[in-house]
Amino acid sequence: MKLKSLFASTAIAAMLATGALADSHGWSLKKAAEPYAGTTVDVVFLLRPGYEAIEAMLPAFEEETGIKINIIKHPYENALGEQVRDFVAGGDLDIALIDLVWIGNFAENEWILPLADVQAKFPDAVDPDLDIDDFFPLVLNAFGGWNDTIYGLPFDNYSGLLFYNRCMLEEAGLDGPPKTWADLKDVYGPALTKDGKYAFALQSKRNETQSADSFARMLWPFGGSFLNAEFKSNLLSEESQAGLKFRQDLMQYMPDGIVAYDHAETVNGFAQGDVAMITEWSAFYSTVVSPETSTVADCVEIAPEPMGPAGRKPALGGFSLAVASQADEAEQAAAYLFIQWATSKANAREYLERGGVPARQSVYQEDGLEEFKFVPALVESWQDGVPEFRPRFAEWPEITEIVQEWGTKIMLGEVTTEGGAEEIGTRMEAVLEAAGYYSGDKPLAQ
Amino acid sequence: MRGRVSRKTIFGFIGPAVIGLAVVGIAPLLYALWTSLHFFNLTKLRQVEFIGLKNYLTVLTDEVFWQAMGRTFLLLGTALPLQLAFGLIIALVLHQPGLTLLKTLTRLSLVLPMATTYAVVGLLGQVMFNQKFGVVNQLLGGADINWIGDPDNAFLMIIFWDVWQWTPFVALVLLAGLSMVPGEIEEAARLETSSRWTVLRHVQLPFLLPGLVAVLILRTADTLKLFDMVFTLTRGGPGSSTEFISLLIQRVGFRAFDQGLASAQAVILLIITIILAQIYIRVFYKEVN
Repeated sequence: MKLKSLFASTAIAAMLATGALADSHGWSLKKAAEPYAGTTVDVVFLLRPGYEAIEAMLPAFEEETGIKINIIKHPYENALGEQVRDFVAGGDLDIALIDLVWIGNFAENEWILPLADVQAKFPDAVDPDLDIDDFFPLVLNAFGGWNDTIYGLPFDNYSGLLFYNRCMLEEAGLDGPPKTWADLKDVYGPALTKDGKYAFALQSKRNETQSADSFARMLWPFGGSFLNAEFKSNLLSEESQAGLKFRQDLMQYMPDGIVAYDHAETVNGFAQGDVAMITEWSAFYSTVVSPETSTVADCVEIAPEPMGPAGRKPALGGFSLAVASQADEAEQAAAYLFIQWATSKANAREYLERGGVPARQSVYQEDGLEEFKFVPALVESWQDGVPEFRPRFAEWPEITEIVQEWGTKIMLGEVTTEGGAEEIGTRMEAVLEAAGYYSGDKPLAQ
Repeated sequence: MRGRVSRKTIFGFIGPAVIGLAVVGIAPLLYALWTSLHFFNLTKLRQVEFIGLKNYLTVLTDEVFWQAMGRTFLLLGTALPLQLAFGLIIALVLHQPGLTLLKTLTRLSLVLPMATTYAVVGLLGQVMFNQKFGVVNQLLGGADINWIGDPDNAFLMIIFWDVWQWTPFVALVLLAGLSMVPGEIEEAARLETSSRWTVLRHVQLPFLLPGLVAVLILRTADTLKLFDMVFTLTRGGPGSSTEFISLLIQRVGFRAFDQGLASAQAVILLIITIILAQIYIRVFYKEVN
């Protein structure tokens, strides 16, 4: 039945994608791509489910357009460095894969073209059904926008969600997931941490995981933030400190060595039934519900992240695709056609069914999405997200290194939350001062 | 003059090697020197400017740099003596007469750790030292030791792998040194004394010193630039507990993209390595001479 529905939706998506219906507007992908047939487009992909999904769909695009998509795969940790080196050296990449925290960097260096410029340059390539308003506004602006300009279209889209093991919770006599972080710590923590099992795991490895998934995740729900309105450190504020101290307290209900846990260890701990709850990106849904990779597939349930005193404020992350300025004209047009196709309304359903998470509002209003348990929580989370969950300016690569180092030291107890926050604040402000934010050379945009 | 080699011939033989060395070794070094004197961030190339020795000043006053350097020397100071001790024991055992086939097999097996790629060693470590299903904890009677997530244990784990991988190298070098000892002198010494220590100290050690100096220089340089194994095993963590100097340089240069600062760090590291190599040569070679 599942397979049937996949085939049916694939057929519909293929019809839409190949332009059978779009022809009614006088536009078809095939016709738009004709001048660019034979062009090769180079793009970096990550080793994650959303990329495998689009890769599986790719033959239809290549057959229809004659455009070859050359995928260069990297783990997340290498993706920024590889792309920066390519753009600095005037390399081969025709599309930029942009994590939301890289967008300021890429835009300010003019490595990517504003979407409007590309569309003006190649008007025949623009699909009348693009419907940019169909993207979740938060996601479009956070992942693809910088300084009120849209550069990229949201492609691999995440919100932090609470994955919980219903069976473990029921065994412990707990009815449903925790609504607040306080409940998670005070009620669920003691009830679920026993016999070598842990209530919660917060991925905190010293890389972007520490900054985004651990440190920032505990700031925002408690009312804290990295920066105040004057772009000075806000980490010593009462609210930020409350969040960081909460993280320290919560560690008693996490596995030992949580500072060495990346996404893989955390998802694996949950999937093997060692951990009852994790807050993870929506993109890992397909991993934890697949019997091939999860022993608790039947027990997995999804809820929005718990609320803190300042509200829900879930983690926000994800990637957009933008046309690279270094590409030649044919490559730019071909790249645009690919980006438009990969993020289209027409392909959103198939992308979802193959393990991706589209940012199209329309797809989540369709019937038959019951098997995707994360959808309601995801849609709810994308109403409450904070675009500057991590500042998106060009200085983030330097600042995240500081946060990673001292955030981990705080967790290990090598410094107090106040001491660590002071160190991060001082160093962060030095970076921002050198960049010209305090002298007025740069606008206070994050 | 008969027998005199022309300059052209000399250049013909040596020139290609010198040019090759200049292209792959000296040119990048000069570029690193140039970069280290500039503000040079890959993501801010419009702001590249000459800043003199500011990067060097930043490095020399940066406690993170010195902490990483301290960690690196702590690793060197613990792993290298262990490698020398174990390597010497293995070399002396293999130097004993008899059991030729077994010794040949042992020599061959000694090459295996050295032939293993650093990155593979790191990945092996991740699996073997896994707290839950790793073979190390199983061998320790089902112990629940958190190797990778505990700062001290992670450091011990790095020492273990470095010793495992490079003790065979030390053993083979020292074995080569022992084979240089003239048989009649060694035999005469054994007739004079039954003390193995005396034979080692006064007869064998002088022949081991050139090899020891080479080991000291190579292992010091290797430890100072140790990267792949640690990167794949701990990525410098948890916290900064295994962030050795080469990992710090990589982090600054390729994750924060500050190539100027990273180049200054690398140049200082190079100077330290050269100084250490000179010290080793002067102190130990004197004794040999």
